[in-house]
Amino acid sequence: MKFIKKIINFYFREYKVNLSGIFDILTNITFFFISIFIFIFSVGPEKETLSLLGVGILWTLLLLSSTLSLRKFYQDDFENGSLIVLHLNGFSFELISILKTISHFFFVQFPFMMSIPFASVLLDISLEKMYDLFLSFVIGSFILSCLGSISSSMNLLNKRNYLLGSVMVLVFSIPIIIFSVGLINIEDNFNSLINILIGLLLIIFAINPWASGACLKLAIQNN
Amino acid sequence: MRFLINAKRFDAVSDILIKPLIFISIAFLIIGLLFALYLSPEDYQQGSTVRIMYIHVPSAWIALMTFLVMTVYSIIGLAFRMPFGFIINKAVAPIGAIFTLICIVSGSLWGKPMWGTWWVWDARLTSVSILFVFYLIIIFINKSFENNLVREKISAIFILIGSVNLPIIKFSVDWWNTLHQPATISKLSKPSIDPSMITPLIIMTIAFISIAALIAILRVKTEIITRENI
Repeated sequence: MKFIKKIINFYFREYKVNLSGIFDILTNITFFFISIFIFIFSVGPEKETLSLLGVGILWTLLLLSSTLSLRKFYQDDFENGSLIVLHLNGFSFELISILKTISHFFFVQFPFMMSIPFASVLLDISLEKMYDLFLSFVIGSFILSCLGSISSSMNLLNKRNYLLGSVMVLVFSIPIIIFSVGLINIEDNFNSLINILIGLLLIIFAINPWASGACLKLAIQNN
Repeated sequence: MRFLINAKRFDAVSDILIKPLIFISIAFLIIGLLFALYLSPEDYQQGSTVRIMYIHVPSAWIALMTFLVMTVYSIIGLAFRMPFGFIINKAVAPIGAIFTLICIVSGSLWGKPMWGTWWVWDARLTSVSILFVFYLIIIFINKSFENNLVREKISAIFILIGSVNLPIIKFSVDWWNTLHQPATISKLSKPSIDPSMITPLIIMTIAFISIAALIAILRVKTEIITRENI
């Protein structure tokens, strides 16, 4: 019971921290919409082109803009010592990484999910495709959160090369984007591709706590 | 075989190995190039461009083998706490990157006259280019961390995660319908290549492997000298 209370307190704190930094998230979403505008200006506003390219453009931009803020995943908690306090309170590093991943999914990826309908209006994506896009983004963004947890915990002590974490996530997100765009664009292949996507999610969700827990421990020991 | 996991033994054994390796690499490179460029026959379909294969295939094998070696040594370094694994990881990453680049560039040079394009997005080519990006990221990790202990463990964890790409590269030609041809030489069946072409291929492979091993030994020795505690 005490443990559950601790977890609830953790999420309450995450909520407050993310609420105070809400303009970061809003800036991220603004970046997303502006890049959609830029894409439309560059490929031209014809409806045929947009409906052909729309899903791919949308997924790419979602990926790029959700990896923008990855550096803040653990960095703030690491620098003000919250990670050590959490660890002293009986949270193992593996559990911390699971909790932070879920919190990142809710507080950072969720606003992107909310902005998908508006973006798909801009890119002229039909309603059925939008449902598939939404579904694929729910699964894919959770994979992205796991990957982000691994890469940002790896780069906690990296003071020189800030972009390395984003590059790591982008490399590993190639299968996600292949399967989720395929899920939407290829007809009558829905079940197999969504099974592959869920399988990827389960694999990465299983690897994530061990990899990022080890990296967090390493960073705290050597800071 | 303790020299494979112990730095001091490796230093001693590599002193013995280095002169034969120089001899083998020079001799086999000369003989192999002679075979590959003059003595081997032209292909009935590809003409002289088949000779690019004698560079392309060995470098691709070495590119994969280097990552496999790094994966094994990451496990040795992380699980058995032997720092020699991390030394190897740091030393061989640029070698793998260069051989992957040679593989990609030579394949692209072959593809223009044969397939009519420098690059196609099929599974084998894409996965090899991702392998190249992995090598680059490992080199970047090695360059950008200040703390040595953190750097080597982080790069080992990254190598372990990145090793999922290896079976994808190996089996990409079987799993997907690719423009790249499936493996010609395999252990289980007789190779579907003429003996007059497999001889220079094997000679060039030995030459390439010994060159890669030579560079690796030199880099590992430098790494052992510059490292404070082994």
